[in-house]
Amino acid sequence: MRPLFSFRSARWGGEKMAARWLCRRLCQGSAFPVSYASRITQKQCFLPHSDLMGARLAGSHVDTQEPKTNPLISISDEPETLYKRLSLLVKGHDKAVLDSYEYFAVLAAKELGISVEKVHKPPKKIERLTLLKSVHIYKKHRVQYEMRTHYLCLELKYLTSSTAAVYLEYVQRNLPEGVAMEVKKTKIEKIPEHIREPVWDTLPQVEETEVKL
Amino acid sequence: HVPPRTERMDVDQDWSSVYPTAASFKPASVPLPIRMGYPVKGGVPPTKEGNLELIKIPNFLHLTPPAIKKHCAALKDFCTEWPSALDSDEKCEQHFPIEIETVDYVSAGTSIRNPKARVVTLSVKLSNLNLDDHAKKKLIKLVGERYCKDTDMLTITTDRCPLRRQNYDYGIHLLTVLYHESWKTEMWESEKTEEDMEEYIWENSCSQKNALDTLLRIKASENVSNVTEEELLASEVVKNYRNSVIALKNEGETENNMAQYKESVKKLLNIQALP
Repeated sequence: MRPLFSFRSARWGGEKMAARWLCRRLCQGSAFPVSYASRITQKQCFLPHSDLMGARLAGSHVDTQEPKTNPLISISDEPETLYKRLSLLVKGHDKAVLDSYEYFAVLAAKELGISVEKVHKPPKKIERLTLLKSVHIYKKHRVQYEMRTHYLCLELKYLTSSTAAVYLEYVQRNLPEGVAMEVKKTKIEKIPEHIREPVWDTLPQVEETEVKL
Repeated sequence: HVPPRTERMDVDQDWSSVYPTAASFKPASVPLPIRMGYPVKGGVPPTKEGNLELIKIPNFLHLTPPAIKKHCAALKDFCTEWPSALDSDEKCEQHFPIEIETVDYVSAGTSIRNPKARVVTLSVKLSNLNLDDHAKKKLIKLVGERYCKDTDMLTITTDRCPLRRQNYDYGIHLLTVLYHESWKTEMWESEKTEEDMEEYIWENSCSQKNALDTLLRIKASENVSNVTEEELLASEVVKNYRNSVIALKNEGETENNMAQYKESVKKLLNIQALP
């Protein structure tokens, strides 16, 4: 059975919830000519109300609503984190389901403007076990079971945190039940802050006392 | 008694209103003549009416390409663009040298938590940090196995704290401490011996002493006026010898290095090549 939305929305995303997204310009004033803005969604958009449980991503099907750009998007001034590479590993028992999922994920990435670096399928792993066929005695008669796990690896490049949050939420909400599991690797880049200059230069007299953190 | 809905569906209907969300397979709502299952002997796979195999398998009927495009069009407003100035890995490396890897796990089960999710891996290239020669060597010694010489990457993996943010803070703290400690010079560091050195230094080594010794003795036996050591050191043959010895010790023995060493020794000792 399909799990509840709120159950799944709390599952991922590390520290910050989907409600707060980052943005406007990069910190430390590096010389970027581009200043880009990002958006914050409000909670109603991605955590649907209980009566709208069936409607996923409300708005695309409900044409009577007014266009969503104004009320639900707001731009914040926090600097946005950048993800150099996003690696999705999807595991499942059925190859056909994973193939369909691959088509869906790749199309979604293309539509949202995310560059897909590589899509490859690591070889499947089969876990076999041999058990006794009968409840009592009959040691010579056994039964063998196996569990096949198929993998699918998607590597995406150069995402901002808003885009990553949008893509991941979309793709994770549409994970098929039970058969496919997703393991995500996120690589973030940051500039070191207090590691520019060694602090010993600025403290002339104070020698081996506290280490400035 | 009631005809199924499929008979009243037109070819160009809006499919996303038939299957707006993930739902199980309803044979009366899907106008496709699908057969699925293991066929009876001499027969065909069973039809879709009452077919449990079709209901069991997850279907993607709610995610047809037009539906995906509609969803993405609605979601596109919430995405931001990657800054166009950072279009290659090298530029990313130059402006943002630190890389932090975190993993999230999504699965269905009794619990949504996964204990592996708190691991954080920090990697930096040492050439991007502000380190001088002594600081770099000390940092490499402090860090041990976590430094890879080929790619010049320092990788710190932390998972000793229960939360990911704590592990990240701890990783940054470790980096800061390593950086500052490597700039400090302790009193006992002056006792560094030749075995502790990372690379071979020719000045004040036995090789230099032996070479100078030999050359002085050669000059003395030829009764040339006393040449000083500085002149010997500055001469071309000694410099060649020095370079070849350093190359041999630091880079290992290759064809080129051995040939270079042979040439420099021949020139130093004035030996003619054997015919």
